[in-house]
Amino acid sequence: MKTKSLRALPETETSTAQKPPWAAFSRFSPRRRSKKPNTHHAASVLRFAVILALLLWAPALYAGKLKVVTTYPYIASITEQIGGDRIKVDHLARGDYDPHTIVPKPSFIARLRRADLLIISGAQLEIGWLPPLLRQAGNPTVNPGAKGFLDLSRSVRLIDVPKSVSREQGDIHPDGNPHYYLDPNNIPLLARSILTKLSALDSRNAGYYRSRHGEFAKLWNAKSAEWNRKLALLKGKKVIEYHKNFDYLLRRHGILLAGTIEPLPGIPPTSRHIEELEKIMSGGGISFILQDVYNSDDASRHLSKKFNVPMVKLPHDVGAVPAAEGIISLFDEIVRRLGQ
Amino acid sequence: MNDILVSAFFLSLVLVGIHAFFGLEVIRRGIIFTDLAIGQMAALGAAMSLFFLDGALIYPVSLAFALLGGLLIAWAARHTDNLEAFIGLLYAFGISAVYIVLSKSAHGMEEFQRLMASDILFTPLEEVIKTAVIYTALGAVLFFLYRRFEGFWKDALFFTAFAVTVTSSVKLAGVLIVFSLLVSPALIALRFDGRFMLIKAWAIGTVANLAAIIASYKLDLPTGYTVVFVNALFAIAVSMVPRRRREAAQ
Repeated sequence: MKTKSLRALPETETSTAQKPPWAAFSRFSPRRRSKKPNTHHAASVLRFAVILALLLWAPALYAGKLKVVTTYPYIASITEQIGGDRIKVDHLARGDYDPHTIVPKPSFIARLRRADLLIISGAQLEIGWLPPLLRQAGNPTVNPGAKGFLDLSRSVRLIDVPKSVSREQGDIHPDGNPHYYLDPNNIPLLARSILTKLSALDSRNAGYYRSRHGEFAKLWNAKSAEWNRKLALLKGKKVIEYHKNFDYLLRRHGILLAGTIEPLPGIPPTSRHIEELEKIMSGGGISFILQDVYNSDDASRHLSKKFNVPMVKLPHDVGAVPAAEGIISLFDEIVRRLGQ
Repeated sequence: MNDILVSAFFLSLVLVGIHAFFGLEVIRRGIIFTDLAIGQMAALGAAMSLFFLDGALIYPVSLAFALLGGLLIAWAARHTDNLEAFIGLLYAFGISAVYIVLSKSAHGMEEFQRLMASDILFTPLEEVIKTAVIYTALGAVLFFLYRRFEGFWKDALFFTAFAVTVTSSVKLAGVLIVFSLLVSPALIALRFDGRFMLIKAWAIGTVANLAAIIASYKLDLPTGYTVVFVNALFAIAVSMVPRRRREAAQ
């Protein structure tokens, strides 16, 4: 349509009221018109102009996509499932690092500046690294509370919310345990919030998002039935955890937490604390020691060897281990490793 | 994007401005680790404030600890035989004390790092300008007073000014960046014999920081660590060039 009208345009009409927007680029044409009319030449110039215009529009078509930035890879993976090719998703943190401490790079700020939507995990998990990035990015669209901001922790009920926040009791997370996303039963709630947000920001594609979300929800139901069946076998077993990463999953399946290797969240084990754990473990009945990929596993290894209890390294995010490529394979891998 | 890198670059220049002076002096006196020791004492003060006062009075407390560290070194300079060992141990004392104080506080280390090792990327331009004004004034005081003082008072002035500077620089850019900007340009400048050492150090620091910031942007590397890396690499490379051959080549 556009191409046709452009080609049909007679040379003399360029200066009339129907001036096309690309006329600004064709400042060579008046001089040419003063010479002998050369229709062949003019046609090739027009063809060139069309190609040029298409080339110029290509990034514009791309820019029409909603640009979503997420803090962690697991959020990017869920968002991709719903947004498909109508959005561009990008995550800041890497999945194999400690989610509490992320070293910022210049590109983080650049990406936050361009973003239309920022999705965070929330519950203070990003408190140590995201606020200064947001301040420096200065993008009002994605600031907390703005239209282009989504805090996923608001869609689930958090556990271990302290009654009073005091440093001595080790309650630095006043909102509760922030690792809620490591329970497959919470993921549909997150997916629904993401669907609502994407549809609100980009209503043109709302139908597309809804149908993709429907497919994802169906797949997830089938998958989590399988996971729940396998995890149900672990009911009543006792475990030790390094950090309280998997409390949501443990509690849902009646797996008992006998202790943590950290004396307090974020504090490496002390000798007296290890002694206490040894006392607990010498009583027997501990099935696993759960260890994450980013903390030192020296203490877990020591206890595992001493009491002949297997240490299980669990991925805490997409990309934490090579097998956890997306949100589904992340839980496949967690369940597989727990079932071994 | 450029505004952030410009502000990081200006900050590195402001830091080189004052620290090159201190750097030439600490290398001459053979007390390079004074910076790390004082920085760590300031950090200990911040940790104390965080743990006992919930983060109140963080600046005065850390400044007090930094001054205490500075005065201890000034005293040790006159009364001990192995000053460098004393300074090194003061550093070890500071860093271990921080860990001990914060071991009773959940996520205390993360909270602490958030307060202390602020990233060079995140310093707003207003803060950079404020620091530039303060350091220029401090530099002027040192320039006019330092050579008039003698003996203990000279040391007292030096270590007090150094403690004040290190406390606020560490707050802006982190211990490691401050250390590298202190030692690296001064060390390279000392390889070129002659006069105007300070101006040479400034020029060298400017070039190194510009290279680091551009590299950090182009290759998307953590800005703070890139500044440290480039400055250190530059100084190590220059130090390894044999002095005599270089002169022969000229």
